[in-house]
Amino acid sequence: MTGLLPLAINNATKALSVLLLGGKEYIALMHLHGEVDERLLIDTFKGFVGKIMQMPPVRSHVKRQYREREVYYLDILEIQGRDVLFRAGVESGTYIRKLIHDIGEKLGTGAHMTDLRRTKVSTLSEADNPVTLQDLDDGVYFYTNESDPRLLDRSIQNIERALDFLPKVFVSDSAVDPVCHGSPLAIPGIVKLNGFGNDELVGICTLKGEIIALGKSVISSADILNGAKGIAIKTDSVIMSIGTYPPYKRKDQGQWSSLV
Amino acid sequence: MGLPLENFKHEVFSLKDEKTNDAYGSYPEKRSIEQRINFGFVLLDKPRGIRSRTASAVAKQILSPLGVKKIGYSGTLEA
Repeated sequence: MTGLLPLAINNATKALSVLLLGGKEYIALMHLHGEVDERLLIDTFKGFVGKIMQMPPVRSHVKRQYREREVYYLDILEIQGRDVLFRAGVESGTYIRKLIHDIGEKLGTGAHMTDLRRTKVSTLSEADNPVTLQDLDDGVYFYTNESDPRLLDRSIQNIERALDFLPKVFVSDSAVDPVCHGSPLAIPGIVKLNGFGNDELVGICTLKGEIIALGKSVISSADILNGAKGIAIKTDSVIMSIGTYPPYKRKDQGQWSSLV
Repeated sequence: MGLPLENFKHEVFSLKDEKTNDAYGSYPEKRSIEQRINFGFVLLDKPRGIRSRTASAVAKQILSPLGVKKIGYSGTLEA
């Protein structure tokens, strides 16, 4: 099975869980175990769009109990005898092999998956410079031995690119270091913001657009814009290293530093 | 037809006018490859026949001369 597998590097690994929030898209090949009327096949596919209950397969890393997953769309692309090629947009954690098995059961003939390719992960698609392991190996070779950065430059992308669907707050330079230490973000530190509700996942960024950390909103953006006071975001996972921006100095700290 | 969150556009609201000091941090689009390593991701096209875990380990090995110490992947794709 082939397709998109996002790999996060060093500090960016802390942002990985965010990619599970979006959906996934696959192109799958199903082999039917008997003749099926085309009309019935199309109708049966329609019945699997929406909320479905799915039992994780025996060989899986999660507890085997029925769980609800959403199928956003199923488009049949081609039918050739007993082989059905289709595109599926699904919620994270949906097993396509299992989906195909269940469609086969419903049809009464049985079916199994013969090929699978992942074409989207969250907002990342095949249009976003996917690279093979060979490309990566060549990229490192050209960069280190021939001083040619072009292939490697294309292969390693900024993690911010994978987080573009997240609502964000953009903070003052002086608020950056405390957030790197895991402090919650107070409203006066915010310069600009997107719209978000209460208790939502929000990205905390610098004014340069760099991701500092991920957090949960304590109040909504509307309340912040209406002049609320106090804590805005509770910091969950920190991506930026401490010391990237200057340490925060309290206004009354001047006299203390002169004593040291 | 699309996935949720796809084509999501955010509106920006300003609370005040403030500038950032270019002496600290880096604009993502201006990062060098060395800087990007620490805040980067690779959109791998996983080949057939190897597990996601293995593909991620191979990528780490390839990139280790550049200072890649940790690599994580999101969403297992079967071999």
